[in-house]
Amino acid sequence: MQLVDMEFARSAEHVITARDAGLVACRRCARVWPMGTAICARCGSQLHSRDPKSLQRVWALWVAGLMFYIPANLYPMLQTRTLFDSSESTIIGGAIELAQSGSIGIAIVILVASVLIPVGKFMAIAFLALSVRRRGLLTPRQRHALYEIVEYVGRWSMVDVFVVAILSSLVQLSVVASINPGPASLTFAISVVFTMMSAQSLDSRLIWDEITDLKE
Amino acid sequence: MTTPPDIQITTARRSILQRLSIVWLIPVTTLLIALGVAWQSYSDRGPLIEITFESASGIKAGETVLRYRDVNVGIVEAVGFSPFLQEVHVSVRLDKTIAPFVDDDAEFWVVRPVVTAQGVSGLDTVLSGVFIEGLWNKTPSGLVASHVGLADAPLLRVGETGLQVVMRAQGSAVLGEGTPILFKGIKVGQLGKPRLGGNGSEAVADAIIYAPHDKLISSSTRFWDISGFSFKIGSGGAELDFSSLASLISGGITFENILSGGEQVTNGTQFAIYPDEAAARASIFSDSSGPTLELAVVFDENVSGLSAGSNVEYAGVQIGEVTSLRGIYDEVQFGDSRVRLLVAMEIRPERLGLAEGTTPDSALAFITDRVAEGLRARLATASILTGGLKVELVQVVDAPPAMVFVPDEGMPILPSTANNIQDVAATAQGVLQRINDLPIEELLGSAIVFLDDASALVASSDVQSVPGEIAGLIADARGVIGSEDVQKLPANLNALLAELQGTTTDLRRILDQIEQADTVARLLAAIDAASAASKDVGDAFVGVPDLMEQLSALTQTASALPLEKLVTDITTIVNTANDLLASEGAMALPEALSSALAEVDGVLAELRAGGVVENANRTFASTADAADAVAAASEGLPALVARIEALIDQASTTLADFSGSSEINRDVRSALREIEAAASAVASLSRALERRPNSIILGR
Repeated sequence: MQLVDMEFARSAEHVITARDAGLVACRRCARVWPMGTAICARCGSQLHSRDPKSLQRVWALWVAGLMFYIPANLYPMLQTRTLFDSSESTIIGGAIELAQSGSIGIAIVILVASVLIPVGKFMAIAFLALSVRRRGLLTPRQRHALYEIVEYVGRWSMVDVFVVAILSSLVQLSVVASINPGPASLTFAISVVFTMMSAQSLDSRLIWDEITDLKE
Repeated sequence: MTTPPDIQITTARRSILQRLSIVWLIPVTTLLIALGVAWQSYSDRGPLIEITFESASGIKAGETVLRYRDVNVGIVEAVGFSPFLQEVHVSVRLDKTIAPFVDDDAEFWVVRPVVTAQGVSGLDTVLSGVFIEGLWNKTPSGLVASHVGLADAPLLRVGETGLQVVMRAQGSAVLGEGTPILFKGIKVGQLGKPRLGGNGSEAVADAIIYAPHDKLISSSTRFWDISGFSFKIGSGGAELDFSSLASLISGGITFENILSGGEQVTNGTQFAIYPDEAAARASIFSDSSGPTLELAVVFDENVSGLSAGSNVEYAGVQIGEVTSLRGIYDEVQFGDSRVRLLVAMEIRPERLGLAEGTTPDSALAFITDRVAEGLRARLATASILTGGLKVELVQVVDAPPAMVFVPDEGMPILPSTANNIQDVAATAQGVLQRINDLPIEELLGSAIVFLDDASALVASSDVQSVPGEIAGLIADARGVIGSEDVQKLPANLNALLAELQGTTTDLRRILDQIEQADTVARLLAAIDAASAASKDVGDAFVGVPDLMEQLSALTQTASALPLEKLVTDITTIVNTANDLLASEGAMALPEALSSALAEVDGVLAELRAGGVVENANRTFASTADAADAVAAASEGLPALVARIEALIDQASTTLADFSGSSEINRDVRSALREIEAAASAVASLSRALERRPNSIILGR
């Protein structure tokens, strides 16, 4: 009957969750255990049907990430010292300077990589975390897709930091010119780390619980 | 089918702490760290000070730093304007640790790259941009939030001590910012930025002498310009002289203590910069400071050779200099339309020996007093070679009275006197000047005084009374001659001769007897007696030559008088004498004399009168008695002669008083001579009588 149900669910776009089936899957090695098993006998990790502190972790890391994102925008990202000049540029200030000097393409890249994506991530994570508890605009499938995107994009969020790291290691021409990372590069990197951790902390199974709840 | 085991549902509500994930520590920690950092940076933040600059060239907010001893101690946070845009306000965030030191005496200036002949400074600002340099002392005395920035870097840099003086340059000496002050080739200081001072007549620059060289500077120090180079060709060959390459390009100043024993000077003392060493050394004799008195002199002649800057000397000491020359034309003041030379001078009162701090007014009062004593200005030759002139203040002994003329506006005008110009053209004039300078006026003055005295003497009642006295004297003589005794003398003689006549007959009768008897011997004895008597008369006349000697001595005394000096006015006194002689007494004198003489003549004539002789002849007979009578009469003669002598003595005494007039003297002398002649006639008469008594008797 259960199998029938499962087949029915698959065909009828109805998802039957492991929880419904009284099972719990190990999130590390994917071995399925009966509900109530505390520890995965194969890999030794804790088993939770639903991670009870997932949302707490999401929110905690999200807050931490956001806190680091503020100085990342206020402090200079890059300190450029040439023979006659020394300049420090923040993320947005640098992008604006680039745009004013005609390099609109690069400015857009920087804005997308350093502003749009991180901000979008914060918003997406917050949206997902909120929509677990209450009914949202998106279907669970859409939300899951959003979650996948956030996870995928997260690893590219470090583009800025990479650029700064590479530039400052390459451009060290003593007196003539030198580029050093500003304090914002560090906080930006930490912010990115925290948002990635925040995104990963989200127990994606929670996305589907709503449907179950609705069905019930 | 087994049913899954029942899930153990724990319903017990766990506490909020238990339910909280440990992950929350991360944001909390982050927050704490952020708050900590924020608090720390706030608490570490120093105070904001505001510096006012004329211009904020190169100053950027957030970039330009404030440096103290080349260490960043603050950063510019904002650049703004004062309310009405006069100045630029630069807000600087100070380091907290440095803040207490930024007190009232803190100085700020903007360091910019400067390229001068002395070198390049502020080169680091070319790369880093300008920065603000601050300077303050090492004692913290509280923050002062508002400061005024300096336009230029102060001379005394951080950590340097030294003496700050003010250099004044007039004329050709050139001041330049950063000009080194060299002492024996070592740079011991430098000049600051020059500015105009003294109403634009001089350049003034602050200068710093770095410690420990500041001890070299004293009040006797003189600075001079060693800029550029000097090129001389002389007997020793050509000579090119410059002190250092830097001073060749940019100028330099050196100094020396010209005098010993100068006093230590304080900050802010002013020094002049002389164009060369010679001028600096000469200045020790001429340089002075203090107030000056401006005077003017008007010279009648326009003589070339005087120029602005010519010396003004008093007793050979330079007391000032000529400041300007111009012609002056003032018909009202000078009475004619000639153009005169107006010389404006600047006198330094302390060179006149007046106390320090003498005001120009008191110096003018001093000069006014001197002018009253004869101080005059004149042009004199300063250099015979160049014909340059100077103005000399000289004490003119017999100067006509003059005074300092103080016009309503303008400079007081000093009276001038004849110039003393010794150029070739004026040499002859100078000789004449010397002649003119001979004390002729003085001599004439003395002569006039003498003649005045002589006139007063002659006009005095004593001298006026002399003719009267002489008249009286003559009258006395006449009285003597006309006296009964003398008048009686001829009568006596007549009687005598009558007696003689009587006796002559007796004599004739007796002579016969004499021829027999010794009556001749008796007669001879009588004649001896007469001879003795006559000898007495002669003795009496011995005094006369003495009198003559006295008279001649008197004449000599008169001739020894400075009669030459009298020459010019002699006629006056002669006239006076003439007037005197024309006076009644004097006119009466010759008359009295002539009448006296006439009477004497008359007497003599009577003596010679034939009657007498006849009587004599008649009375010759009684010669012996007559001879006795003659002897007796002859005895009276010495008394007469003595009276005449006394008269002459009196006359000579009177004449001795009357030593002023030779003319009168002469007259008197001639009168006396006649008297003398009369006396001698009497003497010769008596002598004749003595020798040949019978000649009277015999008429031969």
